[in-house]
Amino acid sequence: MAEPAYTVASDSETTGEEKSSSAFPEIAIGIDIGTSQCSVAVWNGSQVELLKNTRNQKLMRSYVTFKDDIPSGGVSYQLSHEHEMLSGAVIFNMKRLIGRVDTDPVVHSSKSLPFLVQTLDIGVRPFIAALVNNVWRSTTPEEVLAIFLVELRVMAESQLKRPIRNVVLSIPVSFSRFQLTRIERACAMAGLHVLRLMPEPTAVALLYAQQQQQMIHDNMGSGSEKIALIFNMGAGYCDAAVTATAGGVSQIKALAGIATGGEDFLQSMMRHLLPNFDNLFSSRGINEIKSMGLLRVATQDAIHKLSFEESVQIDVDLGNGLRICKQVSREEFEQVNQKIFEKCESLIIQCLHDAKVEADDLTDVIVVGGCSHIPKIKNCVKSVCKRELYKGMNPLEAAVCGTALEGAVASGISDPFGNLDLLTIQATPLGIGIRANGNSFVPIIPRNTTMPARKELVFTTVNDNQTEVLIIVHEGETEKAGENHLLGYFKISGIPPAPKGVPEINVCMDINASNVLRVLAGVIMPGSQQPVVPVMEVRMPTVDDGHGWCAEALHRAYGSTLDLMTVQKK
Amino acid sequence: MRCSYGFTAIPGTDARFFSPETSFLQLRRTFQPTRIKFGSFKIKAKIDEARKQMSFYELLGISETGTSLEIKQAYKQLARKYHPDVSPPDRVEEYTERFIRVQEAYETLSDPRRRALYDKDLALGIHLAFSARRRYQYDEDLEDRSEWKNRWQSQLSELKRRSVNRDAGGNMSWGARMRRQREELSKEL
Repeated sequence: MAEPAYTVASDSETTGEEKSSSAFPEIAIGIDIGTSQCSVAVWNGSQVELLKNTRNQKLMRSYVTFKDDIPSGGVSYQLSHEHEMLSGAVIFNMKRLIGRVDTDPVVHSSKSLPFLVQTLDIGVRPFIAALVNNVWRSTTPEEVLAIFLVELRVMAESQLKRPIRNVVLSIPVSFSRFQLTRIERACAMAGLHVLRLMPEPTAVALLYAQQQQQMIHDNMGSGSEKIALIFNMGAGYCDAAVTATAGGVSQIKALAGIATGGEDFLQSMMRHLLPNFDNLFSSRGINEIKSMGLLRVATQDAIHKLSFEESVQIDVDLGNGLRICKQVSREEFEQVNQKIFEKCESLIIQCLHDAKVEADDLTDVIVVGGCSHIPKIKNCVKSVCKRELYKGMNPLEAAVCGTALEGAVASGISDPFGNLDLLTIQATPLGIGIRANGNSFVPIIPRNTTMPARKELVFTTVNDNQTEVLIIVHEGETEKAGENHLLGYFKISGIPPAPKGVPEINVCMDINASNVLRVLAGVIMPGSQQPVVPVMEVRMPTVDDGHGWCAEALHRAYGSTLDLMTVQKK
Repeated sequence: MRCSYGFTAIPGTDARFFSPETSFLQLRRTFQPTRIKFGSFKIKAKIDEARKQMSFYELLGISETGTSLEIKQAYKQLARKYHPDVSPPDRVEEYTERFIRVQEAYETLSDPRRRALYDKDLALGIHLAFSARRRYQYDEDLEDRSEWKNRWQSQLSELKRRSVNRDAGGNMSWGARMRRQREELSKEL
């Protein structure tokens, strides 16, 4: 008799249990939590089905209101009026704030939201609070997301009549691994286990792969490889991906993403309509929040209308004798936001370049997300890709459908008609590397490396008789290490004294099937074949909140005494 | 700074460890044993032994004259088998290792420039194991990153042109020559 195995759950929130192999696998549901809207979908045995809440909505607003003792979210709660959203008691846009520190520009731009976002600019998490009965009640982005996820879970459980545990979530491309742990934390708080986190455009790519497969079944398409560009722009983020699809396999060639979205259009329009916006609202009294909210609703409304009309009349009384009465044309909107459109364009160009694909190679160009209704966005994508847009998808439902497909595939479900013979080969959206050569970021796993992956690189010491080195792991694309996301750090001690440049420090990075990142580091002395000290194996990220000042503190404490450099070619 | 590491971070090329006379072959041989065997996979050691002898072509199960289409098809087929999302749950670790190797083979062989270099090594009888040709990848990344902003399209065509020129050199491997012949034949037809 084998003894029963007792195992300890991992301390790291990032890892769940391994794939369960029960006879009746539970189908993971797909969730798309958008900055402004969210939705849930599931494979119902023959196709993907979007779930509806009790108010018959497939797309629900992403917010949580703290009005009563028990907070409630947009799944169950109906706002009496749009303006209630702006009373100070409602928290939203959490996807823009989760896992960010208070020095982050995205956090700073969120200070114009009608609830409290307080920053001390020292690299800790921002303070977020809702106004309840004239009291600022503190909360966290994780808590808000978790409250919301619980509502989505209850909704799905009551409709599917089974407990829900496994989920596939879509995430922005630009999220760091630290932000992913925060999303996983929110899911864990809601009693959900994350089976996969899919960058949004890759979820769309999977849906596209399935559609192409179906066309072959229906004898409408050819089996040759199709290359598609996917551009996704929601309220908070903007992503691009290039996928090569054949035989149900979607291979992600390149990913690119930035934290720019509809919210940025909204903010620049609010400042355009009210040039002294920042001065007027620098103090956050109840009146300021109220007028800021009124302006927000009016501007949002105008932007929506400008997608279908050439011009729109804005007339809003902000109180305190402040009234905005203005005619805004679509042209004006496009001029005010010129920079954002340029950013979108260069994102697409970069993505095509990273994928080593030219516009002429594209079979299809897919634009999804809330901002895909903006005519100028469509035109931008069309002009860069020199192609008309793909019409086979609902732009607001594509991502959630993709996550539901992945949920079914990753749960081991098969479909007799071959509709689930699908596979996504993912790529790393950001480079992962260490700090070396002074304050440089040296990627070990470059951006757009196919996952799972394992790569290694050799480094050496910078000082004579240096017996310790500090491995500081970052994620990002900037050349300066400090400007990238910090994932963690550890020290290797016990290096035998030797002139600088002699010890070989081999750093290996490994991303496994569950997207868990391990960093391994070993030291070899010339002439020896064995590591001189035990190899270190560290699961990343290890940093917790307040990681913004870690790098600085390390630098203050150790200077360059524990530094590394890449091995020089002579 | 970026420039320097792109070229320099090459495992085993540090001259300090080796006399200048050391040939490329010896250099590899002296370097290989000092590589740390990372990873806790027990199965991995076994595969390592088996794989070391396999060329990228054998890994993908195609001939050395295989076309880029054949490489792509072989890769997709193997990906469907070894990718952790579709592999049997009890063999995920082993299959993941294989997938990474298949990926490396595919990335090398699907790039004409890297394939030509790999073929040259192969012709010299060096059965380079997994990831030995890493440096070409880094060179390429370097080009990509520093210049993508300005006129990337002209750059791409330049790359293509260069890879064609390289093939024209006398140092062509057998595989490269066969492919060239084939391509020319198909053009005539």
